[in-house]
Formats: sequence, C-alpha cells, structure tokens
Amino acid sequence: MANVLDLKRRIRSVKNTRQITKAMKMVSAAKLRRAQERAMQARPYAQMLANVLQSLVRRAVVYGEEGGDVMHPLLVEREEKNVLLLVIAGDKGFAGAFNSNVGKAAQRFIDTRRAPHAVDHDKAPAEQNIDIETVGRKSRDLFKRRYPEATWKHVDDAYDNGLSHHIEDVRERKQPVELTHDLSALLGKLTFTDVDRSAHSIIERYERGEIDAVYLVYNEFKSVIAQRIVVEKLLPIRKLGSPEITAVEEMTEEQKEVAAKAAETAGISIHATEETVMEEEAKKFGTADVDYLYDEDPAVLFRHLLPRYVTTQIYHALLESVASEHASRMTAMDSASNNAGEMIDKLTLTMNRARQAAITTEIIEIVSGAAAL
Amino acid sequence: MADEQTSTQGLLAVRVVTPDRILVDATADAVELPARSGYMEALYGAAPLLAELGAGEVRLHGGNSGNAKFFVASGFAEILPQRVTLLAETALKTDEIDPGAAKTELEAAQQDWNSAGDDAEKYSYAQGEIRTAEEKISAAADR
Repeated sequence: MANVLDLKRRIRSVKNTRQITKAMKMVSAAKLRRAQERAMQARPYAQMLANVLQSLVRRAVVYGEEGGDVMHPLLVEREEKNVLLLVIAGDKGFAGAFNSNVGKAAQRFIDTRRAPHAVDHDKAPAEQNIDIETVGRKSRDLFKRRYPEATWKHVDDAYDNGLSHHIEDVRERKQPVELTHDLSALLGKLTFTDVDRSAHSIIERYERGEIDAVYLVYNEFKSVIAQRIVVEKLLPIRKLGSPEITAVEEMTEEQKEVAAKAAETAGISIHATEETVMEEEAKKFGTADVDYLYDEDPAVLFRHLLPRYVTTQIYHALLESVASEHASRMTAMDSASNNAGEMIDKLTLTMNRARQAAITTEIIEIVSGAAAL
Repeated sequence: MADEQTSTQGLLAVRVVTPDRILVDATADAVELPARSGYMEALYGAAPLLAELGAGEVRLHGGNSGNAKFFVASGFAEILPQRVTLLAETALKTDEIDPGAAKTELEAAQQDWNSAGDDAEKYSYAQGEIRTAEEKISAAADR
C-alpha cells in the first residue's frame, strides 16, 4: 500500500487540477453567454435578408422571361462532381467531443461521397472529387494528416507583344480529396467583413464551375442541451430562408443530462433563448402587403443580394459553432471537476486507511514488545 | 407652418440593422440615405420602396434621433410609410470611425485595384472598396 505522504501529494495535485477545470468551466460559461448573445443579435439581419430575397422571388424576377431558366448562377444545380466541404471546428481542445465529432461527421461525408456506387444514383455520381476547407486549428490538424494539400500552377501569359499579361493560378488536382484553404483566421475575431471575403472566394469558384456544390459541417447550437452536428448544403441554393440539412447527429439523452447539470451549476439557462421583439418584427420585414417601388431593377437587386445571403449563412454557422464550442467546453470541464472530486474522495479514503494501518502496526509492535518483556 | 406640419404628421421609426447588432432604433421626421443610385430622403408617408444602399452617410432629422449621422456601406433599405429599415453590412456611428484604419483600407483597396490586371471582377470589387473607404474618410471628417 502506498504511503501516506505519497497519497497526500496526489490529493493535492488532483485538487489543483480541479481548481483549474472549475475556473475553465466558469470562463467558458461567461464566453458562452457572450457567444449566445452575438448569435441572437445576428438573427434579425439574416431573417430580414431572407425575407427580402423571398419577396423578390415571389415577384418572379429570378426566372427568365421564357420561364424556367434560373437567372442567378448560385441557383443553378449541376451534377455534383467537385464538392467543397467546409469543416468548422475550434482552435482549442478541452471541449469534450466537440472537435472530434465534427471531424467524424466530415469524414463520413467524404467516405460516402468517395465510395463507388454508395450514393444515390440520380442525384450524385460516385467517386466525387472533394475539396476540404477547414476552419479552426483542430479541424485543420486533423485533415492535414489525412489528405494532401492542393497545388496551383502559376500562369503568366503575355499577350499584345508583351504589353499585357494574363495572370492566373490554375488549380492542379493530383488527388481526389485535397485540402484547399485554411480559414482558421476567421475564428480569432469573427467579423462579418472577413467572412464576406472568404464567402466571395467560395462563390467565385462556384460561379466559375470549379466546384458544383458546397456543404458545411458544423455544430449547431439551439441551447445548452440542444446541440447537434449538421451537414448543411450551402450551394446551390434550393430554398431561401430554410437551409437544406442533409445529415444530423443529435445529442444523446445522457449527454443532455450532463450538459443540463453543468449549465445549472454555471448559472446558464438550458432553454433556447426566446425570440425578441426585434426578431418578431424582423419576420415581418419586407413582407408588407404592398407593392414596393424598386429603386433599381429587382433582378439587379436580387443579383446583388444573393451572395450576401451566402455570407450570412456561413457567418451564422460560425457563430453557432463558437457558442457550441463554449457549451461543450463548459460541460466537459464540469465533468472533469466532478471526476476530480470523486478521485479526491477515493484517495482520501485510501490515505486514511493507510494511516490507520500504520498506526495499527505500530500499536501491535508496542504491545507485542511489552508482552515479550 | 413647418411646426404645424410636423405635429399633424407622424414620426418615422428608423432602424439600422447590421449582422452584429441593431445600431439604431429611433424616430425621426426625415431620413437621408445613400442609395446606390444617389442620395434620397424619406419622409413620413413615403411610398413603399426597396433600394440597395451604396456607401455613404445616413442622416436622421428630428424625432428622438438627435440628428444623428451614421456611416453605412453595402446593404439595402426598406421604406414604408411609417418605417424605414436599413440593413447594412457595415454601419458605424461617425465617432466610431477610425480615420487611420480607413486610410489603410483605402490604400489596400488601391493596391488591389492596381494589381487586378485584366480580371474584371477583382477590378470592380476593388473599386467598390475604394469608394467605401473614401466615403468612410469623408464621413469621419464630417462629424
């Protein structure tokens, strides 16, 4: 049996760990509250944008005059041969299964798309090419180990007797699955402008036909006990205002219970945040039963607004993922603190036993010594 | 006469909403806003209108708005008889603008413009950025 001094040391070290995990839990709780608020504040804008686009669609400005042909490239559906997958995870660990679950879901997506004849034949051909774009260091590290990075060939064609140059980086695909860009920088200070820039690059690739579909994999956050991993189709846009979710992974009851306990002790509501007055009004935005005048051609307006809708979708996914990350970390750190508490109890018991055993041995020695006299 | 008019007229409810927050929620007699095709002013009872926003200054007059001014860039506006809502990707109170940062943005945009080569898309994107930065600087100077 270990001696008393060793046990004391271990107890002290476990206590220190518990201090740290407790502090991390409280920090995550505070960050979660802020992240939740941000996600809330982003909703009116997204809602209003979707409304205006829907009302433009109702006015049938999206379709050509002959009827049927879609006027915006982001609405055009093509056979999915080259797919872009945006994997949104976090920068830091210690968040339970937050990062690994996203990774697993993304891997599953890739595997089904790569497997020959495994996919629905009318919709998607088997063995698609997949470009992975990662957000968050954890997601980057995971896929960097598995897949090679994409390469580009720099083209510089001179024409007009060398007066002008055509400069372009042409993609050279060597493997069916490659990592194109890492967008981890977005997470540091999440701003709409930065997201817009990345979204532009994605939209441009889609419009050029370099990619035929764009999917997002991320942790969706409804409340502390309602988070799920979703695979969402970003492009082409099928239905405005209601994202198309192709795969979902819900929390188990057990996970929900643990999360609820953690939230309770951290003073966070487990209910989904209620709709604010602003949100309710946002729903009415642009839906007034009047014929609007348009300052410019509605079709032009639609063309300008649609890319913004895509940015909003990505921005929304990032905000949700951040909130989800903090919630996961809070829950994980709560479990860690509880485990540390249990361990301390166990070790204290063992230590007391050891001490008692030592005392008993000593007494026996004294008694038997006295008896020998 | 002017007073009489405002007392019989209602006030416009004005909102400026960005992806991050609701910047303004106020009432006003009139709102000047930068549509893509030029500045326009909305008064109480205006005909319903949807317009895309360019970069520029939004000025509120009267009501409880305190004649506030804001800088907005890229977004759109919904004008209803009693309500004006601006959705802007970028919206700042004029005193929130950092002129130094705006100048750096302008320089970066000009650099993009110079290096755009024959890529029309990059070119027009850079042009938009330049315009935004310029408007931002002038809005900051105007406060």
